[in-house]
Amino acid sequence: MQKIIDFIIRKKDFVVYFILLSFSLVLTFNTNFYQKSKFIVFLNSIANDSKETLNKLNGYFVLKKINSDLIQENLFLKNKLEGVSKNANSDSIHNTTFYYQNAKVISNNLSYLKNYLVIDKGIKNGLSKEMGVISSTGIVGIINHSSLNYSSVMSVLNIETKINAKVKRSSYFGTLEWDGSSSEHLLLNDIPETADVKIGDSIITGGMSLIFPEGINIGVVSNLINQNKLTDDAYKTISENQKKKYLDLNFRENYLNIEVKLHTNLGSLNNVYVIESLNKVEFEKIKK
Amino acid sequence: MDSIYLVVIKRFIFFIALQGFIFNNFDLYGMYDPYICLVFILTFPTKINKITFMVLCFIFGFVLDLFSNSLGLNTIACLTVAFLRSYIIGFIFGSFYDPVGLKLIKNYISETSFSQKFLYVFSIILIHHFFLFTLESLNFNYFMLTIKKILITSILSMIFCYASILIMIKNEK
Repeated sequence: MQKIIDFIIRKKDFVVYFILLSFSLVLTFNTNFYQKSKFIVFLNSIANDSKETLNKLNGYFVLKKINSDLIQENLFLKNKLEGVSKNANSDSIHNTTFYYQNAKVISNNLSYLKNYLVIDKGIKNGLSKEMGVISSTGIVGIINHSSLNYSSVMSVLNIETKINAKVKRSSYFGTLEWDGSSSEHLLLNDIPETADVKIGDSIITGGMSLIFPEGINIGVVSNLINQNKLTDDAYKTISENQKKKYLDLNFRENYLNIEVKLHTNLGSLNNVYVIESLNKVEFEKIKK
Repeated sequence: MDSIYLVVIKRFIFFIALQGFIFNNFDLYGMYDPYICLVFILTFPTKINKITFMVLCFIFGFVLDLFSNSLGLNTIACLTVAFLRSYIIGFIFGSFYDPVGLKLIKNYISETSFSQKFLYVFSIILIHHFFLFTLESLNFNYFMLTIKKILITSILSMIFCYASILIMIKNEK
């Protein structure tokens, strides 16, 4: 016993290190603990409050950009409204299934492989898990956890996010994922090689889940490689480096490798919209 | 002794604010942020004993995590660097290092060679980034990407940390 106590006293640096390390490992890998512990939630809200104050100040410097974004969006919506009023007879407009709320981005990170955003609305405003978040130009992410006043959003630039998407022109469905290599590009997987896809095609949300309504802009196809057609002109023109990138482990046979350039610049987000599905309960019931 | 703790607490608040508010939004090429907060660990007075140092760095990393939504990653990285720092100083500065802490950081800067200073700063930054980014991905599919990220971010952090240490210490009386 004496020896053990002696050992601990001699190696007290190690002991303190391992106690603190195990505590931080719990923080990292047990996300439930992180989100439910009242003390951490309280500290988090202090950090968020201070960032919110600073963001208000920061907002004045980007007013010009926000203004032009809003004008663009207004124009788009006005044009859309014109189309709606022409076919006013259809009742599908009155049958709304999605409800939109606005929110402001408080903090945003792009430097990790699992990036999260924080927005300034939470349970108080009726937000909860698995609601979609979009900006005026395209999709942003999915809410993964809400506290009373704030919500954390899993950005599309997160290697764990999977979003159902389709090619606008030919309606082929696929899954949108991030490979972590660039903050402007995503990969669209699971589209068969026989599909009719060209560079420059628009990619929109697929509407297979109730997180995003169908037809929200995501981006355009910026690069496209068909692995089995080695004689393809497109394949000849790409660089050695890119070839290697597509030949690595992620490559799946008989599927197209599609690179999508995002419309949204996720680094400079300010105002976002949260989409709440009104039919979610009904949908979950019938899925069972 | 009181004044040392006052300096440490001032730096604590200053570097948390600097990293959390400004450098987390740096986003070079859309995804690389320099970690200037490491200056806090690099210039921590050697006089203060190691356990206090580790606990302070643990809190430092934890607060940083709250600001960057990274769930304990910074905590582990900062804690490990704090634990390893005395060994690294001993290894690099050799007989110049005294564990009792009579020498100030100022002495380490003015009386050692450039390669020693460079190695000290770079090794601590590299270890910090290694723990931060490998723990974050924990996946062999992203191995090359993680290595690339560690290297680029290290070079960025290196420039900013080295510059800010030189500025800081020159103004310090």
